[in-house]
Amino acid sequence: MASPEDIAKGLRVAEQEMEYRVDMFNKMVSTCFDKCMDKRYKEGDMNVGETACVDRCASKYWQVTGIVGQLLGGQGAMGQ
Amino acid sequence: MQVRDSLRMYNNLVERCFKDCVESFRRKELDSTEEKCVQKCTDKFMKSSARTGLRFAELSSQAEQQMQQLTQQQNR
Repeated sequence: MASPEDIAKGLRVAEQEMEYRVDMFNKMVSTCFDKCMDKRYKEGDMNVGETACVDRCASKYWQVTGIVGQLLGGQGAMGQ
Repeated sequence: MQVRDSLRMYNNLVERCFKDCVESFRRKELDSTEEKCVQKCTDKFMKSSARTGLRFAELSSQAEQQMQQLTQQQNR
């Protein structure tokens, strides 16, 4: 049986994880928008190139997250 | 947290579209070019955000599956 302390700790960890994921997502949206969109805003829709760019940008962003996470994790900087 | 996140997105979007669309301050009213620009900017951002969300969800779920496979292999 998990103690109340364990449960509280579990909730805190889950909350932090949630905030981290939301933050990551927001940054991904913002970054890929900046990298991919034509800022002249000729259309309200994305064209084919921009759409493809967003797909690849998301994929690469995720990979960068993984690499940085590994490197930081090795130094014990995460999980605090 | 969702409300806070929506409000933050709203503020960021306003700032972004303002910076991208409004250049001159000869008048205090937005002209029709600026207005259309802001509309397209908002539209485009929402669509790009939705698309990114789709990919993010895919990548997340792929990563989770890989983690589960790894854990299963370790438990053998």
